[in-house]
Amino acid sequence: MLYREAGQFKTTYFSDMAVFRLREDRTGLAVVVVAAYGLAFVGTDFLLQAVLIPFLVFSLAAIGLNILTGYAGQLSLGTGAFMGVGAYSCYKLMTAFPDVNVIIWILVSGLFSAAVGALFGLPSLRIKGFYLAVATLAAQFFLQWCFIRVPWLVNYNVSGALDAPLRTVFSIPVVGATATSQARYIVVLTLVIALTWLASNLVRGRIGRMWIAVRDMDLAAELIGIRPLQTKLLAFAVSSYYCGVAGALMVFLWYGGAEYDVFNINQSFFILFMVIIGGLGSLIGSFFGAALIFIMPILLGIILPALLVPFGLSIGAETIEHLRFMIVGALIIFFLIVEPHGLARLWQIGKQKLLVWPFPY
Amino acid sequence: MRPPLQPNRDTDNTLLAVENVSLRFGGVKALTGVSFDIRKGEIRAIIGPNGAGKTSMLNCINGFYHPTDGRIIFKGEMRRKMRPHVAARGGIARTFQNVALFKSMSTLDNIMVGRSLKMKAGFFWQLLRYGPAIEEEVAHRKVVEDIIDFLQIPHIRRTPVGRLPYGLQKRVELGRALAMEPDLLLLDEPMAGMNLEEKEDMARFIIEVNQQFGTTVALIEHDMSVVMDLSDRVVVLEYGRKIADGTPEQVKSDARVIDAYLGVAH
Ligand SMILES: Nc1ncnc2c1ncn2[C@@H]1O[C@H](COP(=O)(O)OP(=O)(O)OP(=O)(O)O)[C@@H](O)[C@H]1O
Ligand SMILES: [Mg+2]
Repeated sequence: MLYREAGQFKTTYFSDMAVFRLREDRTGLAVVVVAAYGLAFVGTDFLLQAVLIPFLVFSLAAIGLNILTGYAGQLSLGTGAFMGVGAYSCYKLMTAFPDVNVIIWILVSGLFSAAVGALFGLPSLRIKGFYLAVATLAAQFFLQWCFIRVPWLVNYNVSGALDAPLRTVFSIPVVGATATSQARYIVVLTLVIALTWLASNLVRGRIGRMWIAVRDMDLAAELIGIRPLQTKLLAFAVSSYYCGVAGALMVFLWYGGAEYDVFNINQSFFILFMVIIGGLGSLIGSFFGAALIFIMPILLGIILPALLVPFGLSIGAETIEHLRFMIVGALIIFFLIVEPHGLARLWQIGKQKLLVWPFPY
Repeated sequence: MRPPLQPNRDTDNTLLAVENVSLRFGGVKALTGVSFDIRKGEIRAIIGPNGAGKTSMLNCINGFYHPTDGRIIFKGEMRRKMRPHVAARGGIARTFQNVALFKSMSTLDNIMVGRSLKMKAGFFWQLLRYGPAIEEEVAHRKVVEDIIDFLQIPHIRRTPVGRLPYGLQKRVELGRALAMEPDLLLLDEPMAGMNLEEKEDMARFIIEVNQQFGTTVALIEHDMSVVMDLSDRVVVLEYGRKIADGTPEQVKSDARVIDAYLGVAH
């Protein structure tokens, strides 16, 4: 079956406004979702625990940052810290009220990071671009200081680290040492799908248009009645919500415990790279970016040694590690040169071409 | 000597009154003691040589600049330091001398975003894109499609506006302003840089908007023939001061206008 727009006429504005206007796109999405759930049953522990769960967690954080930076145009370097707020609030909530379903606490913990994010978004009324980035850097350092210095956040435990107590959903452990990677994966996947769907609703409607308007030209946005501060703060809040949930998932469903330093500035940059490589202002780009930056090095780690075997070469793990960094670095530069608007744009162009294939246009 | 403010202003018919407005940027006097009014339902032109302060005047009216002196009364209400988004909520829309569209958005979305103020569905409905959110989206989309048809630009519906030629961008910008259903529409040189045909289209749109919807229009324009054809009354500015005010015929035969504006510019 070919990828074609022909014959799929939109007779109502409603159907014309759907996310996926083409039947092929909808089918494609359904296949991906089914396959993703299928992997829970056929995937190895390594695949689920070390590849897919982190990929989904990073994708969610990237969506969060993309809402703020890609859609609303506000540069932030506080992503790591906002993820931390989610993780620490989730820890406090699930230890204070152990009987409440942990998924509820994961979702609620995002509200705390949303509030903190909106607070640190206040300077955005006055400052833009790099200056705003510096202001969010202040958030990064201040919050990280709190994670280290406020022992109340980790219930005064001596290690100062977050641990993952056993928590179950339908009496299946999903958090804690006994949780299987299958159970964790299904929980993470479901949350990421649901939150992505909500984000896509938001960015396609009035709020998303207002964010883009503020990004493209904030003065003109104000002249058509958009309140700049509210609009930006909402972007900070929603963005930090996503980052917060991603942070909670990261600690409790991926790492199974963590120290404050996973929420450092490197994490913020890591997510920012994903967003830029994937495509600013694109939700699907957030997934592409997370895949390129997180999965690509893992693949290289597997493929490189295998490639060298036929030549009778064997290189040390350390050299492979270095090679990985170099290749991923080169790929990032390559993609940025080929398409500064990110992988999402390449994807878009590819689909456009396919629509009219085999004709050039 | 400037005449005192007229106390017998016809308040019922006046949509906007500019009283003694001055605007300074450091040493530059962009406007000095300018007074005039705009009546409901009229097309009011503001003309004057380059740098006369026309754009600055519009900027004061919609709260982009705040006059250093004087006051602006809109719908019988005076607001000091009104912010542009408050002006927009009050029913003032405008277009810019150098198009200010949202470049990455399509024509459709640019006009749709002009409806933002009219859309009420709350955050949680928006999240679900269900119920009131989607109903409202469809309803406003219809209005936007009507505007697109009215401006005869259905073929560029989905084109990102950054890729459109200048003349069409100006049209889309008018569409975005119309989407706000304003009481007062401020147009800053809506026909600048257009060819004759495009100018005629634009003039027709302005007249139709004015007559069909009763929208009051204030426009800045350099092309005198357009001004004479379109406007009910004309204000002439020079070096930030008002030098004439009246019907096109009156203004055209005013010695100071001929001297200062028409004589120099043409
Ligand atoms: N933001 C600003 N800062 C400093 N000076 C300004 C500013 N805006 C306008 N001016 C000055 O005010 C004067 C009037 O400018 P304005 O743009 O209102 O003129 P105009 O009548 O619209 O001219 P044009 O026909 O060229 O558009 C000019 O001397 C201009 O340099
Ligand atoms: Mg001007």
